[in-house]
Amino acid sequence: MAASVCRVGSTVGRALAKARSPILLSLRRGQATVTYAQSLLGAPETRLTALDNGLRIASEETGHGTCTVGLWINCGSRYETEKNNGAGFFLEHMAFKGTKKHSQMALEQQVESMGAHLSAYTSREHTAYYMKTLAKDLPKAVALLSEVLQSNALSEADIEQQRSVVLKELEEVEGSLQDVCLDLLHATAFQGTPLGHSVLGPSQNARTLSRQDLVDFIRSHYKAPRMVLAAAGGVTHEELVELAKQHFSGVSFEYEDDAVPVLSPCRFSGSEIRMRDDDMPLAHIAIAVEGASAASPDIVPLMVANSIIGSYDITFGGGKHLSSRLARLASEESLCHSFQAFHSSYSDTGLLGIYFVTDKHHIDDMMHWSQNAWMNLCTTVTESDIARAKNALKASLVGQLNGTTPICDDIGRHVLNYGRRIPLAEWDVRINAVTPKMVRDVCSKYIYDKCPAVSAVGPIEQLPDYNRMRSAMYWLRF
Amino acid sequence: MLSLAARSGALSPYLQATNVAVNGSLKALLPGAVKGDSLLKSSSQKAPAISACVSAPGGIRMAHTDIKVPDFSDYRRPELLDPKKSSQESSESRKTFSYLVTGATAVVGVYTAKTVATQFISSMSASADVLAMSKIEVKLGEIPEGKNMTFKWRGKPLFIRHRTEKEIATEEAVDMAMLRDPQHDKDRVANPKWIIVIGVCTHLGCVPIANAGDYGGYYCPCHGSHYDASGRIRKGPAPLNLEVPYYEFTDDDTVVVG
Repeated sequence: MAASVCRVGSTVGRALAKARSPILLSLRRGQATVTYAQSLLGAPETRLTALDNGLRIASEETGHGTCTVGLWINCGSRYETEKNNGAGFFLEHMAFKGTKKHSQMALEQQVESMGAHLSAYTSREHTAYYMKTLAKDLPKAVALLSEVLQSNALSEADIEQQRSVVLKELEEVEGSLQDVCLDLLHATAFQGTPLGHSVLGPSQNARTLSRQDLVDFIRSHYKAPRMVLAAAGGVTHEELVELAKQHFSGVSFEYEDDAVPVLSPCRFSGSEIRMRDDDMPLAHIAIAVEGASAASPDIVPLMVANSIIGSYDITFGGGKHLSSRLARLASEESLCHSFQAFHSSYSDTGLLGIYFVTDKHHIDDMMHWSQNAWMNLCTTVTESDIARAKNALKASLVGQLNGTTPICDDIGRHVLNYGRRIPLAEWDVRINAVTPKMVRDVCSKYIYDKCPAVSAVGPIEQLPDYNRMRSAMYWLRF
Repeated sequence: MLSLAARSGALSPYLQATNVAVNGSLKALLPGAVKGDSLLKSSSQKAPAISACVSAPGGIRMAHTDIKVPDFSDYRRPELLDPKKSSQESSESRKTFSYLVTGATAVVGVYTAKTVATQFISSMSASADVLAMSKIEVKLGEIPEGKNMTFKWRGKPLFIRHRTEKEIATEEAVDMAMLRDPQHDKDRVANPKWIIVIGVCTHLGCVPIANAGDYGGYYCPCHGSHYDASGRIRKGPAPLNLEVPYYEFTDDDTVVVG
């Protein structure tokens, strides 16, 4: 029975192969096939308008039945000082604790009854409050968002209660060693500058931030020119603009004493921070050099370079057939549990690095091969590496935008970083323009013979001395 | 445990350190404990400890965000003191300076090492007294005309003969064709008045006798080699003329041989 099925199957297969028609062979026979290039060009355009007070509105109409709408603000831990570091994070906690019009219960009921999700995040340079809801509930969503942002109750009682929640969260984040490691990396790489501040803030501030601090924070940073109302899904741009005019026209655009907070450049210090604890089972280590800012033309070659190094997890099944050389080594020599190449870019600087998790006997080897991978990028990267990386990068860029929320987030961040949404077609063109020589030059500019910042948490006795790691940032053979 | 530490005074840091270590091993015993590996998890069982301990010297740290990176301004180069200035601009000049200093030090170091090594190795070469033995200084005023004096030099006899005018003329007139080892007298002396040769017969190494033989020079008694006043072999079994060593006249009266 099985044999006859196989025979029939193979005959059909051979017949199809002979026919050589892609349509016949594709799984979606009968539907029109669209090429990658066509789909890029056919993507809906992101429309951008600005209100009189400077607030920008951007949206992409994707035709989904749901939508994500939110406010992206150019405000984060980088704008905080030592004294109020953690205010943004605290504020995020306070955001959903009730407004002047709705108590916490009422607010929650409003949101739940729509079947919506209301959430927020704070990062070093951006803060976002957004809601995922049905497309038809857009007006209500915008109304609630404007309330949450502009007329937050900030009651003393809630503030006191949230203190312990924030402290508890500070305690819990210690368990997420990736966050600890990367926070420490920022703290040492940008030491003495606002970028070194962690988003969460020190526990001392969590205990002492007052209502006045939070109010001052809102007053100095939540200004219309620094905000973007972004939406993606089944929304029309005109409707959104109307709603924005209705709810957000009142957002202030003037600063007190004309004290416009200007971001000064942040000095990068090649340095290291070692948090050794031999009781932990795994070591989490990150090494980074100063990278490119978000708007720099070097971003795309660096993204391609990172795709060449790629990422790896011990659960990957590729083994010695993984495309990234470092991943192959990691798999064959059991060098690590996971690694990823990352590039965090901010408005005028960035961190380009590799983060890996390994056990205490393979730290030296893993660090050696990671830096070796960097050196290869600077010197011997080949056409085939680039071709593979470009494809992987394009695939990941497209794959990341798989829902209204990622798209909305993309819109919000792009408008804040670049002033416009960079469409996939443009990314595609810029990625295609990358050549091996360009990658080598750009990587040499950022990586070769530069002092790295290293942060390490866990049983890190085997981590080489800083001078050894610094010496591995160049090759004598070149 | 903490109160015990407080009462113990001087021992308290050690006791507190023990406190922390004990927490580390105890946490495995606590049921349902903790996904993270943080010390905090076990300490969270004792709530008062958290609020009391943050700034205490032996206390348990609350969060990684409390870690303050120290201010390293005392150690920074001047271009990097300002945290508001990007470090990229000065990066070239800083690296160049470091590499130049390192390079110069390396070059100086190599030469120093070479000097030290040479000094140690050359200490194994001939010492001063041995070197001194290799030269001999002779006062020529003490040798009367027509006389030959013998000196011990480098373990061999050295003949210095103060030649008369007649001897000089005779030797210079000798025909090359008659010599077994043809050498003109001019080629064997720097100053014709003095003939300096090593007194070892070129036949089998005996010491010739001065003012003997048929040619007015030296005669080797062992096998009958006759040398003339220029030390050239004239008759007998010796194949070569007497060897002329390196010498120089430091002044008219003194010669240094060797």
